[in-house]
Parts: sequence; structure tokens; C-alpha cells
Amino acid sequence: MSEFTSEFTMGPMLLNLVLWLPIVGVSLVLLAARANDGLSRLIAAGVMTVQFALMTVLYLQFDATAAGLQFATQLPWIAQWGVSYLIGLDGFNILLVLLTAFLGPIVVLGAWTSIKKDVPLFHVMVLLLQFAMMGAFVAQDLFLFYLFWEAMLIPMFLIIGMWGGARRVYATLKFVLYTAFGSILMLAAVIYLVQSMQQTSGVLSFAFADLYQTQLPLSVQTILLGAFALSFAIKVPMVPLHTWLPDAHVEAPTAGSVILAGVLLKMGTYGFMKLGFPLFPDAARAFTPLLTTLAVISIVYGACLALVQTDIKKIIAYSSISHLGYVMLGLLSLELVGIQGAIIQMVSHGLVAAGLFLLVGMIYDRCHTRELAAYGGLARLLPVYSVFFMIFTLASVGLPTTSGFTGEFLALMGAFTAAWPAHLDGNNLPLVLASVAVTGVVLGAMYMLRFALTFLFGAVKAPHHSPEHPLLDLSLREKSILGLLTIAVFALGLFPDGALQKTELAAKSYQSLVTTSRTPAGSAGVTP
Amino acid sequence: MTSSVNAQDALLAMLPEHFLLGGIVLVIIMAVLGRGSRSALWVALGAVIASSAAAFWLSNLPYAAAPFDGQFSVTPAILMAKGALLALAVPVLLMSRTEFTDGEFSILLLSSLYGLCLLPSADSFLVMFLGLELLAMPVYALVLLAFRRPQSAESAFKYLVLSGAASATFLMGVSLLYGATGSMSVDVFGAALASSDIMTRTAVVLLLLSLFLKAAVVPFHAWAPDTYEGASIPVTAYMATLTKGAVLLAAVRLFAGANVSGPLVDLLLVLPLVSIVWGNLAAIKQQSFRRMIAYSSIAHAGYLFYGFLGDAEGRMQAVLFYVLAYSVVNLLAFAVMPQNTDDEQRDSLDALKGLYHRNPFAAAMIAIAMLSLAGLPPFPGFAAKFLIFKNVVAAGYTTYAVLGLVGSYLGIYFYLRVIQVLFMTAGEAAPSEQRAGGMARAAGALCLVGTLVLAVLPGWALGRM
Repeated sequence: MSEFTSEFTMGPMLLNLVLWLPIVGVSLVLLAARANDGLSRLIAAGVMTVQFALMTVLYLQFDATAAGLQFATQLPWIAQWGVSYLIGLDGFNILLVLLTAFLGPIVVLGAWTSIKKDVPLFHVMVLLLQFAMMGAFVAQDLFLFYLFWEAMLIPMFLIIGMWGGARRVYATLKFVLYTAFGSILMLAAVIYLVQSMQQTSGVLSFAFADLYQTQLPLSVQTILLGAFALSFAIKVPMVPLHTWLPDAHVEAPTAGSVILAGVLLKMGTYGFMKLGFPLFPDAARAFTPLLTTLAVISIVYGACLALVQTDIKKIIAYSSISHLGYVMLGLLSLELVGIQGAIIQMVSHGLVAAGLFLLVGMIYDRCHTRELAAYGGLARLLPVYSVFFMIFTLASVGLPTTSGFTGEFLALMGAFTAAWPAHLDGNNLPLVLASVAVTGVVLGAMYMLRFALTFLFGAVKAPHHSPEHPLLDLSLREKSILGLLTIAVFALGLFPDGALQKTELAAKSYQSLVTTSRTPAGSAGVTP
Repeated sequence: MTSSVNAQDALLAMLPEHFLLGGIVLVIIMAVLGRGSRSALWVALGAVIASSAAAFWLSNLPYAAAPFDGQFSVTPAILMAKGALLALAVPVLLMSRTEFTDGEFSILLLSSLYGLCLLPSADSFLVMFLGLELLAMPVYALVLLAFRRPQSAESAFKYLVLSGAASATFLMGVSLLYGATGSMSVDVFGAALASSDIMTRTAVVLLLLSLFLKAAVVPFHAWAPDTYEGASIPVTAYMATLTKGAVLLAAVRLFAGANVSGPLVDLLLVLPLVSIVWGNLAAIKQQSFRRMIAYSSIAHAGYLFYGFLGDAEGRMQAVLFYVLAYSVVNLLAFAVMPQNTDDEQRDSLDALKGLYHRNPFAAAMIAIAMLSLAGLPPFPGFAAKFLIFKNVVAAGYTTYAVLGLVGSYLGIYFYLRVIQVLFMTAGEAAPSEQRAGGMARAAGALCLVGTLVLAVLPGWALGRM
């Protein structure tokens, strides 16, 4: 255990507690299921709040100057296969775990009145999902990671399928079948990777730290990265593997959309950052041009599609595709600033998309339609709602002082100074791609402002609104959850330093992992 | 060959079998005396539990012996496999309570289990053949016991014909092998695998085909859906899990020590792969849960035979773990299935619509079973699949591992469809639907415990195999 720095001796226990709390919550909800629905809401909200509080303690205790894992626990699990229960926090995952814990109570509070049937089961599923997502982030063992990665599918399948809209079964099957296809190939790659490591170095282990040492010829790296990348790219989602996302978002209940956009989509980019690129660095660098092109296409294509949507949920769904493109761009730049921008952008998108989906859910609960054309002039009817709406719109567009600005700016900066593979030196491609990516910012402003203008200003239009029964503005519960998100958005926008510091060493280690060649000496020596 | 029988070894090594035999005799005596048929079930349960416990106890000693030289032997691994399969028979017996009230089920099941116990211990083809026949013959009658249903006779007949064909093929293979090698020992099979002699090779092919027939590997699978559909639920559960597992253990015994190589590899590579793909595809359009499970079991037979591609060393472990993980969840699904006076309605997918709203526990259990069969983590089906494919990759058949995994992906859809039917549709209960009986629920609880143990502590379970 000496390799793990942990001044804070309670830390490992606390991290385990943070991870397993949702399971405690599941048991409590199951015990209380017969009592009443309100109790299961309370339990879920309570458990998530405690989880967030404990995670905040860990975040504050996290030592930004120490590299490597902190608060780590390692227990042998399936010893015969070299699988261990290895969890810990590092600069890669700390912000994402904090984000997950932060969104937990918000999801439960956001679903407080809109989920009316099978309430206990809903909260069981949300808690299980929270457990799986948290687990995938903190896992430092590939087998464990895969377990949590796959386990996320099942609660999401039920959340969309049971509480979703009219075409929910189609959407949820599409979601699961898309993601499961990627996972199956990743499983094959995982097996092969561990097997070849055992054969070449005699080490049987699934720990990330050990796998980072594996030497593989470029051809093998390419195939394995392909399998990993397919799985992650589906989750991101990158064009052209994105088609499940709008369907899943549109049919999902608000809580489902919030989790999907807030946390689940980050799994893909996190996977690239923590596994895909560092495990197969030579292949990753060889594929930088292709992947960057795809990322830029995702930015522009997602934005263009968002521009023409008539369903308000789809606008945000396509904008997610666009925003996550920046994350990929930053990661692929291999510049410190770009990588850090990517991490910030992940968190920022989590906050902003969660806020926007909550806002859409709130208006849907009141008016029962998501057609953009059905709305107009909401600013006069729902002033508080509109203020929050404007805040999140501007954050999504990347207004300075909001989190969106920090993330996009740094990621783009990275893209312009990117360390491209040597054979592309003197080539215009990097510059062209970076410039095209910038147009995404302009397009983003266009579709979000079009959305806000139609929605908030102009003639007053809102279904189910009449002078006798006016639409009610936000309730205290709704104001508080949006208020919390707003605080987070501004905090990350105004004071990104704290967050940047915590991720700096991780970004450096990512950079050195991906730029160090790991093809075995003597094997053709193809170094791109 | 000297044949010496050590009396103490004969008593101890066959202790599990003796308990089963004792149970059979007791049930018969009780039937003759006309004592209540309900107690037959308890006697059978007692016999199976004692027999399973004996096998576990011996395997932990650890105990190894060959009481009948060249015919029957036990090792700790074999005893562990027997104990585990016998333990799986407990939920089957508990489930039968609702379908059969007389003693015949108990007698037939115990007899079939006796055959099951012989298979992994068989050292000669004679004992193996005895085991296979003893395993299958009571099942003809068991299938027929669902006589209220018109298909049961047809099902039993199909199974009889299939089993007859398999037996004939097996015997033909054995006689050719005997002709070529002059030995009835199963060990000659391992050597014969790599042989290029035409007679030996034919023998090996015939033996393999008889195993494929019994395990319902494509293209020898057509009997399975019809037979499974016609039998009553406990019998279907028994056939889908234990008899299949027993045949696979017999195959492990046959292949003992032999790494698969030579020209016959292709047969062992291609047919299981086709099984996986075809079984999963054909399952998609089934309307009856039992037929779906039949096709799913065809696919799973494919994964199981994949286990033979890997090195001989970990084969018993991989196959046994897979059989356990696969069986325990199948039995779980069947045990919690709601009762219905019309056995045919009991598991049609229409009747299961919206089950979650009527019986959340049963729906959750069936869902767990489906997810595990689909091989999704964290359920034990995943660890089982992982172990098999890990061995396949380690043996160097990476392409086949990828193809097999993609084939397994094809299956996810229909397992999810069951969950969709259970949770995402509104449905009304058939008027005759009731909750599963108390003993069936106990069976479900047992299987759930087994599922959890395999899911949470796969390492512990593997360490014992």
C-alpha cells in the first residue's frame, strides 16, 4: 500500500462509504417500499445528500500536490484472475465523482413530483445507477471498471423503459443495444490485453497502474484501441455513433435525461482519458488525425442539428453531442491546457445540461408538450423560470464567468497548439480542424439564442395557460435545485483555479503516458 | 488388467450414489405400503441433500479413490462437481411439489440423478454409457407425466427417439474406438483426438456427435424446443440445466487431459459457434418462455463447448462454473414463475405481461435470471462467460473468442425483451394465476442465494472447484 499517499487516514473508509451508500439506500427503500412513496423519496434524497457531503469532505482533503491514487483501498477479490477490489481518487476522477455526488440529490429532488407511479422502484433504480456510475469512476481495476460500466445499463434501461414517453421501449432498447455492442468488443479487448500482459511480463493483474506498463506492438494496440474506442465513442457519443442519444433523451423522464447528460455521457470521455489513450499510446497518436476530425465533425454536426430541431429536448440532446466534441478535442490535443480544459468541460457540461434538462422537464410538467412552436413569451408568465433559463443558456453558449467558457476556451486553446504527430508537421490540417471547431461556438450561440428567443420572448404562448388558471412559476424546491446548479456553474466559471489545481498532475501524467511510446523494442519500431 | 475391489473405498467413494439408491428404495417401499405419496418428496429431498453433502464432504477431505479399477473413480474435483449438481436438484424437487403429487416424480428424478453421478466418474465407456442411459430414461417418463397436456406424448416421444439416436451413435463410436485401440477406457479418447487413422477419427466424430445431440448443439438441436415445451415446468427446468450439465461433465471426462488440436478442432470450433448464433437468433421470435429457454440453452451449449478449446487444465473448473451459473439462474426463473392451473399458459410471454405490477418479487427474480443468462455483469453469467472466453483467448483462438462474444451479443435482445414484457407493459392476470407455492418460493430463495454467492464471491467458488 506504500504507493498510495494518504495523510487522511479515514479517507479510504470514507471513499468506500461514499461508493456503497446508494446500496444502503436501496435496502432502506426496499424495506420502506410498502409504507409509502414519500418515504422512498426522502430516503433517496437523504442518502444522496449524505453522499455528497462526504464526497465534499474528501474533495477538500484531496492533496493536489501528490500524484497517484489517494484514499485507495485494495482487497483481493478474484485472486485466480488477478482481479482486485481497487478503488481510489486521483486527479482524473475527483471532479467527476464530485459532480456525480452533486447531481445525485438534484436528480431525486427534480423527480419529486413528476414521478408518480412505481415510486420505490424508481428510486431503487436511481440509487443503483448512482452506485454504478460512482463505481466506474473510482474503479482502478479494469475488471471492476468493466463490471460497473456494464452495470450502468440495467437501471438506465428500466428508467427510460418504465417512466419514459410514448416510444420509450424503442428508445431504451436502442440505447442498450448500442452500448452493449461496444461493451462486448471491449470485453474481448480486455481479455486479450490482460492475457498478453501475463504472457509477456508474467504479471497477472487488472490494475490500471500495471496495465499502463504493457508493451504491445502497434498493430495490436490499434486493434485493441479500436475496440475500446468504439465502446467509449458510442457512450460519448461521437458522430456517427450518436443516433441513440436523441431518442434516449427524448423518451427518458427528466431524471433520466439529467443523469444521462450529467454523468453517463462523461463515462465515454473519461474512458478515453483514463483507459483508451493511455493504454495504447502509440495507436492513440497514430489515430489523432482521425479522432480529431470526428470530434470536430461532432461539434459542428451536433450544433447544426440542434439548430433545426423543433423538440426542445432534442435541441439540448444535440447540443450535448457538440459540447462533448470539445472534450475530445482537448484530450486529443495532448497539451496541458487542452487536457485540463477537457476535464473542466466535462464537469461544466454535466452541470449545464443537467440544468437545461431540468428546466425543460419543469415546463413539460406544466404544459405537457415539448414542441418549441407551442411556446412563446414565457418571460412574462414565468419570470423566475426565465431568469434561470437565461443563465443556463448563456452558460451553455460559453459566456465568460460561467463554467462553459472556461472549458471551451481551454480546450480550444489546446487544439490550436496541439502536439500533432510528427508526420503532420508543416501540414495545415491541425489548424484547419481547430478553426472549424471554433465555428461550433458561433453555431452554439445561434441555436441556444434562437431557442431562448422563441421560448422566452415574443407573443405569449403556452399550452394549458389561461388567465383564470395561469401557469405557476417555480416552486421553492425547483428554485433551490436550479439555484444550487447556478452556484456551481458560476463557481467553476469564476474560480476554476481550485479545480484546475486538483487535476493538474493527472493531466500531466496523462500527457506523459500518451506521449511515451510503448511498443516493445525490436518489434518493427513503427513510431508515428 | 487386474480388477480389485476395495470394499471400504467402494462404500466411501460411492457414498453419494448410495444415498440416492437408498432414497429410491425407500420411496418404492413406501409406495408399496401405500403410505402417503407426499412423504415421497421429503424422502427424495433428504436423499438428495444427504448425497450432495456427502459429495462435498468427501471432496473437502480431500478424497480420491478408484474402487472399481478402470471403471469408476473419484477425485476431489469430480466429487465437487457431483455435489454441486446434486445441490441443484434440490430446487427442482421443491418446484415439483406444485405439479406432481404422487411419488413417481421422486423415484424418477432420483434414478436420473444416479445416472448423472456416474458420468463424471466413468473411467470406461461402459460406465459412461450406463450413466447416459440412466440419466435419460427416467426423463422420458418425466416428460410424459405432464399428461394433461396434449403435447406431452409428442415431447416424450421426440426425446426418446433423439436419445435412442444419440445412444446408437455413442455405441457405434465406442465400438469403432474399441476396434481401433482394443480398449474400453475413456482415456483412449484423448489420444484418439489427434489421430489421423480413419477408423479412430470416425469414432471420435461419432462420439462428439452423440454429445452434441444430447446437449442440443446445432444442427442437432431441433428436438429441444419441442421437448422442453411439452414437459411441465420442473421437468423442463431439470432438462435445461442438470441433464445438460451432466452431459458436459461427461464430455470433460472424455477430453480429460487432452488439449484440443488436430483436424477435429474445426468441428469443435464451428458447431458451437453456429449454436450460439442460431440459438440466440431463433430465441428472438419465441412466444413461449419455455421455447425461448430451449433456444437459449442451445446457445449456452455452444458457450460450454467453447470451454473445450482452452487448455485441459482449467477445463473442469470453467465448465462446472458455467453450468452452475447457468443452471442456478434458470432454476430461479422457473421457480418463481406464477402458478397457473393451465400449465401451458403459465409461461407464455403474454401471461407474463406486466407481472411486475402483480408480483414484483417474481418479476425481479426473472429479470435477474435473464440478465445473468445474457451475461451482463454483475450477475454470475458474466463471470462464467468471462472465464470461458479467457481460456479460449489464452489457448490462442482469439478470433473465435471475438466471434463467440459477438454471438452472445445477439442474445441480449431477447433476454431484455422478457424484462420489457415483465416491467414495461400493462397486463392483466389470467384468472387462474396464483402466486408460486410456498415450496417453489423456497426453491427460488435457494437459487437466489446461490446466484448471489456466485456473483459476489466468484473467486471463492472457483477456489473450491
